Amino acid sequence: MSKQYLQTQTLPPDPAAPSADIFSLATTPSHLLVASGHSSIRVHRIRGQTIHADTAEDEHPYPLIQTLEKAHPLGAHHICASPDGKVAASGGFGGEVRVWQLSVDESNGEETWTKRGDILPPKTKKERDASDSGESWALALSENGQYLAASTHDGRLNVYDTTTFSPSNTTPERITQYETKGSFALSVDLSPDGSLTASGHQNGSIYIFSNTTRRLTHSLPGLIKPVRTLKFSPLNRYLAAAGDARIIALYDTQSGGQIANLSGHASWIMSLDWNWSGEFLVSGGYDGKVKIWSVERRECVATQTESEKCLWAVKWLVKGAQARNESFVTAGAGGTLAFYREASGT
Amino acid sequence: MDDEDFEDLFAEADLLQGSSQESLTAQLTDVNVLDRIEEVFERVLEASSTKDELAIELQRRPRTNRPVLGHRPDAGRGHVRFPGKTAEEAWRFTVVVRILELIHETLRTGAVISKRDVYYRDPALFGSQTQVDRYVDDIAYTFSVPRASLNIAAAAKGLLAGAVSFCRRDGSICSASTDREGMLIAALRELLSCDVSKVKWILVIEKEATFRSIAASEFWDTVATDGVIVTGKGYPDIATRAMVRYMSTPSPQNGFMAPPVYGLVDHDPDGLAILSVYKSGSIALAHEGEDLLVPRLQWLGLRREQFLAEENLLIPNQALLTLTTRDRRRAIKMLERCDDPGMRTALQSMLVMHTKAELQILDSNPGGMTNLLRSALGYDGC
Repeated sequence: MSKQYLQTQTLPPDPAAPSADIFSLATTPSHLLVASGHSSIRVHRIRGQTIHADTAEDEHPYPLIQTLEKAHPLGAHHICASPDGKVAASGGFGGEVRVWQLSVDESNGEETWTKRGDILPPKTKKERDASDSGESWALALSENGQYLAASTHDGRLNVYDTTTFSPSNTTPERITQYETKGSFALSVDLSPDGSLTASGHQNGSIYIFSNTTRRLTHSLPGLIKPVRTLKFSPLNRYLAAAGDARIIALYDTQSGGQIANLSGHASWIMSLDWNWSGEFLVSGGYDGKVKIWSVERRECVATQTESEKCLWAVKWLVKGAQARNESFVTAGAGGTLAFYREASGT
Repeated sequence: MDDEDFEDLFAEADLLQGSSQESLTAQLTDVNVLDRIEEVFERVLEASSTKDELAIELQRRPRTNRPVLGHRPDAGRGHVRFPGKTAEEAWRFTVVVRILELIHETLRTGAVISKRDVYYRDPALFGSQTQVDRYVDDIAYTFSVPRASLNIAAAAKGLLAGAVSFCRRDGSICSASTDREGMLIAALRELLSCDVSKVKWILVIEKEATFRSIAASEFWDTVATDGVIVTGKGYPDIATRAMVRYMSTPSPQNGFMAPPVYGLVDHDPDGLAILSVYKSGSIALAHEGEDLLVPRLQWLGLRREQFLAEENLLIPNQALLTLTTRDRRRAIKMLERCDDPGMRTALQSMLVMHTKAELQILDSNPGGMTNLLRSALGYDGC
């Protein structure tokens, strides 16, 4: 049985940078954070958007509520948020990582993001030689935002404690570092329960580390080609990984065994995401195609082909309590945000 | 290679190419430069007779890739002194005096010599070609004249072929459409005018190998009747940039034609840097950039979609290379100074994809290059 998704809304490119690509998206229960080739990060509100076919559609269901100006002068390539929606982290092309926190104004309930601190790259050759942290690339935050995992160009994974930021200390404490064989770590994720860290590399390697023992638990076989995206399932049981091999590989995080290959993308897979229940995956390809996969049936249940432009990022929107149907958002080359929701009655 | 040296590398790359440039102002300033060199020597002589320290003012060229139109960017002002505080200072003074003397000689006799010639006049003194290049350009900058006005040129480097012909100063006409090997790009001062009336496009190519393979392919017939192919063999020298501008910018010399200019470069940070040198100038020669720019230059390729498009999946993935640390630093440096939105996006997505590809990748499909050129230059419909 296939599913149907309808494009409900598109938001045009940022007028401040009409030709900038959107490279990464992060969602919280209330916000969508957008990182692009432009220096600012945009925040859209998504909470309480219960758009049903049988209700009148709001004209602006995803309003822009905040712009973090000059967050990354050279543009940002990654952004992530903690599932509880309190902390976010973004990575810029200059090598800097910025950690953001959500503050709520008690009087009117207004929510704003402010900077909590930075992780800056070594600037000179001397600093680079002295530092063992490398330059950050992909980012992931734990459930409450306390732990930040950052992958590096030379294949390392640094885990930071973001609560060690203070007005006097704007650099967080590094808790641990995992070493791999030195291939560029294109993707990283932390399991929702915080127990595991996974990384995907340029040479096709995938590693899972235990955060409790701080050791490598699995070196996963399979993809050979660059692993551009990987994600733990909501109950920590599976790891989905994909990239230039054009398949999504599903692994059991306990045994390390590969349990499925989802094939169907004709192009490189740039991004994937689990829905809240772990039943479905959404993936976006370099050719602009979006696919929805049933994890149980191990097959593609819907394909969206509105665009031929590369999709750098796809994300499920966090489902509101009253929302009947699930929604996801896509973005990439061209800078347009496209929102989809499942059609009723299928 | 030391990463810290990127600025320098970028600068040296241009300097090492050598260059020659024609400018209408050249003849007007010859006398002026002669006078000024003599002035410098007179002052040195005076100082030596009064036993003062000998000093020559020398301005260092600004390090910016944006030629500042209308006014000169802030320059590093300085003096070279003799005997100076260190042996190195004394040596620097000697180098400058020696070069000034050679320039004086070329201007008096009207002979044009190359920077290589300058170096060979006294290799023991100069030590390396780089030193000569640096001081020659600094001297030109100090006198506020293009280097060509010092009668110092470089050996011709660029190649050109296609449906264009040139009228030389001696009245002879030479056509570039007969020889597939291409003709060397000479200094513009040799030319009276060029005929680009048949030229529908100008294609600037990064690599000589690609230039030759296009000239040897079936696409040559189209080039010979409709277009011009040019290569600067990597980073272009001034003569090549001046020629591309000469052919593409409307003027009485080219019959007020403005054929579109396309760039075909490797899909890597150096390829994009080469494009931006044609388009918006180089860092080392930012001071004489204005009349060399081709701002309308369009990026024809190699774009990622041209080697990743679905119909091209035949290309073995091995031909895609991973960016090196040097490539990434290079791209970030360019991102810091580049304000062309298209170029920024290209650099950013190159960093995200972490892959590059060389023009030769098109040869892995038979006719790949010809197909790309036909579709990009609009020959598919006919």
